[in-house]
Amino acid sequence: MRHYEIVLLVHPDQSEQVPAMVERYTNVVTEAGGTVHRHEDWGRRQLAFPIQEIHKAHYILLNVEVSDESISDLKTTFRFNDAILRSLVLRRKTAVTEASPMMKSVEAKKAKDEAQAAARAPRTEEATTEEAEESASEE
Amino acid sequence: MARFFRRRKFCRFTAEGITEIDYKDVELLKGYISETGKIVPSRITGTSAKYQRQLASAIKRARYLALLPYTDSHK
Repeated sequence: MRHYEIVLLVHPDQSEQVPAMVERYTNVVTEAGGTVHRHEDWGRRQLAFPIQEIHKAHYILLNVEVSDESISDLKTTFRFNDAILRSLVLRRKTAVTEASPMMKSVEAKKAKDEAQAAARAPRTEEATTEEAEESASEE
Repeated sequence: MARFFRRRKFCRFTAEGITEIDYKDVELLKGYISETGKIVPSRITGTSAKYQRQLASAIKRARYLALLPYTDSHK
């Protein structure tokens, strides 16, 4: 049993299938007696350069502990899956469980977006109440 | 005679006690590639040899995953 780190680039049109794909791979890992130590979904990101004339990809990060044979099986499934643009598998010395710097930045961006949405929401509420008042005065 | 006082270069990784350079930390790696996407030599940045080797492999991994560009003339 060894520790591996897997990064997958999924075709953006297949983004909806990502949870199902991850579940399939985690099943492969757990059935072989391994464990998934970390699973991160970075979402759809802009690529630094186009791959197969695609400019965006859905990134997935998995840290797993599996045997030699099952990691080679996984590698071949990645290779023959048309939805996966690229895959990177690295050996790791230990199980990594804390959030990666990429995930931290993704979460920070999400929090920022939510804060902005929250800041926008009260204004729209005010607008609706004003409209209601206007309609009341018309009557 | 004109004497130049250059700011002393230092290795950021040694100074901050970073033990492993992560290829996923794109913001950090961006500081060590030139505008054309090349890896900046350690004689410019002052990075120690141990960390320059780690940095090079981290940048190469990030490039493979399209997190960093190989060059500035990508289509």
